[in-house]
Amino acid sequence: MKNRANAKRIIIRMFYAVLVLLFLGPLSGLARDIAPVVSGEWLEKNLSAPGLVIVDIRKVESYKAGHVPGSLSAFYGSWVAKKNNNTNELLEPDDLFDLLSSLGITPTSKVVIVGSVASAPEQCFRTRVAWTLIYGGVKNVALLDGGMEKWLKDKRQVATDFSKAKESEYEGQLEKGINLSKEQILAGLGKAVVVDTRPPDFFFGVAKVPNVAKPGHLKTAVCLPSPWLLDGEGMMKKTEELAAMAAGVVGPDHAKEIMSYCNTGVFASGWWYVLREVLGYRNVKLHDGSMEELARDPNAPIVKYTWK
Amino acid sequence: MYKGVLVDKGLLESDPHFAQGCSFCHKGNEESQNKEAAHKGLMKRPSDDLETCAGCHEEIAASYKNSLHYTSAGQRHGVMGRFSEGELRIFDVKIFEKSCRSCHASCGDCHVKSPAIGGVSTGLLKGHRFVKKDEGKTCALCHGGRVYPEFTGEYGGVPDVHYQKGMACADCHSKGEFHGVGGPYTSRRDVKGRPACIGCHPAGQEKSKKAKTAHTMHAGKASCTSCHSSGNYRNCYNCHEGKGATSKPGFILGRNPRNKDIVTTLRLVPTVRGTFEEMGIKMENFDRLPNYWDAYPHNIKKRTERTRSCTLCHSERKGFLTKEDLIKDGSKANEELLVVPKSLTK
Repeated sequence: MKNRANAKRIIIRMFYAVLVLLFLGPLSGLARDIAPVVSGEWLEKNLSAPGLVIVDIRKVESYKAGHVPGSLSAFYGSWVAKKNNNTNELLEPDDLFDLLSSLGITPTSKVVIVGSVASAPEQCFRTRVAWTLIYGGVKNVALLDGGMEKWLKDKRQVATDFSKAKESEYEGQLEKGINLSKEQILAGLGKAVVVDTRPPDFFFGVAKVPNVAKPGHLKTAVCLPSPWLLDGEGMMKKTEELAAMAAGVVGPDHAKEIMSYCNTGVFASGWWYVLREVLGYRNVKLHDGSMEELARDPNAPIVKYTWK
Repeated sequence: MYKGVLVDKGLLESDPHFAQGCSFCHKGNEESQNKEAAHKGLMKRPSDDLETCAGCHEEIAASYKNSLHYTSAGQRHGVMGRFSEGELRIFDVKIFEKSCRSCHASCGDCHVKSPAIGGVSTGLLKGHRFVKKDEGKTCALCHGGRVYPEFTGEYGGVPDVHYQKGMACADCHSKGEFHGVGGPYTSRRDVKGRPACIGCHPAGQEKSKKAKTAHTMHAGKASCTSCHSSGNYRNCYNCHEGKGATSKPGFILGRNPRNKDIVTTLRLVPTVRGTFEEMGIKMENFDRLPNYWDAYPHNIKKRTERTRSCTLCHSERKGFLTKEDLIKDGSKANEELLVVPKSLTK
């Protein structure tokens, strides 16, 4: 009798758990201890908050000229590796863990990324670092809205010292599923929603960067450019607007598998971050080799002069 | 407005450098209201004449007068071994004084204003403030062809681990290397106390057994950069050959021409057989010196493809200079740099 009662209790609990998951599913990206995008006002009030690590990814020279007090310098180039003729590959796990250790980051840290929003690539350097942190097992990652430019414009506190972290031994669990190989993204064509996050000229095939062998996009991919994420002031657009853009291009189904790519794996992280961390799409992945790697493959179906 | 041309007004009152007015250094006539008269005798780069700074910084100016930054003697030293005595005399008059020497750095190029490269300068460092150092705006420009872009990762590789940790040029390179060592000298190697990896990373302090073993086995046989240079660095081809020099990324391992017992990273220098032909210099001793010299790429990483895999060198021989790779019509001395790494034994 007692066993049957216990079993009934467990079933009821599971039923409620499923209900909660169903309702909160779309918001799973928000189940975090820090907002995915934080304002300068919030950051200034929380500079000394326990567990908060502020990482400045601008060039070291820019960091030295003035940075958010207490922030640590970890230049964008530290977060990517040039491998197999691809410009922005993920670091090897031991190198990534060394970097996280040197910054005193633990899997439970709340990491705020400070970067520049002066250019579209720089805007997405921030999301690429965020993606790398999440891949490394750090869940609570946030972007400083408006970047260092907004912080300076608002005349907030600036330091010129060189802050050093108390180093730790990082021990996290890699979230390998968010990174796609070339084979995986090619296999996803026609099944998953494949998102080309470059500006339309690149998608349509009338423009090409030198390190990409062929113009055009992966057949069946949809165009959703990452430079559209920010307004003219470098601030993240309102969530409702981002949600409408996403729903219009990738659809409203938050469970659908989505694969993002661009030229070299930088722009791809812009919409990856917004779709998963801001809007709550649950199954979003990124191919870091992107067109730089894909276009070298003669079997990759690349088309141009078409929106399909 | 572009701030590189604006003098910070507040500085004029607070900085003792300005106590005696602009004309104290820049000459000209500051009393005149007429532009032509005011600019008569104006010195754009007052510290080209070291006496301008020597009034207050006597010791540094005296030493700097003999430094490679000021004399450019290193450029002469690098190539003179290829000349006969007669050729060296022609070189000194026709080339060194007229061309190489024009590239010297004045005090102001490091402490006031970014140096002009190809005639273009980004202007004052901080509104004419006299700064102790600002490597990203000074060193980075003259050494922007090879060293600095390698250091920051902007030459297509990954940033040097020291840059990642916030270090800049003066964190490793001493004052002697910038200001000279007193008397005249001809090569940067003449400066004592130059940076060396073991200065900060002495052998025996390795954390892992793998690193300790690798360091022990390669001690005295391979330079640190052989394994810890993260990848391609700039190599220069065909300088003055009538076509203009070109640069290409590359990673080259071979014997160190200064100590052939050691394998190191080599960089191709641009001097080719015909470099000075138009000036009547055939380089009678061209074959005495190689075209590849020991290089210290500023793209150091703890882990590289070579620290991860012994077979890359000892089986695949990746990166090692081969007879087929040597530049066409290069120096005969190049062949002495070829080395075949030992195969791995069980």
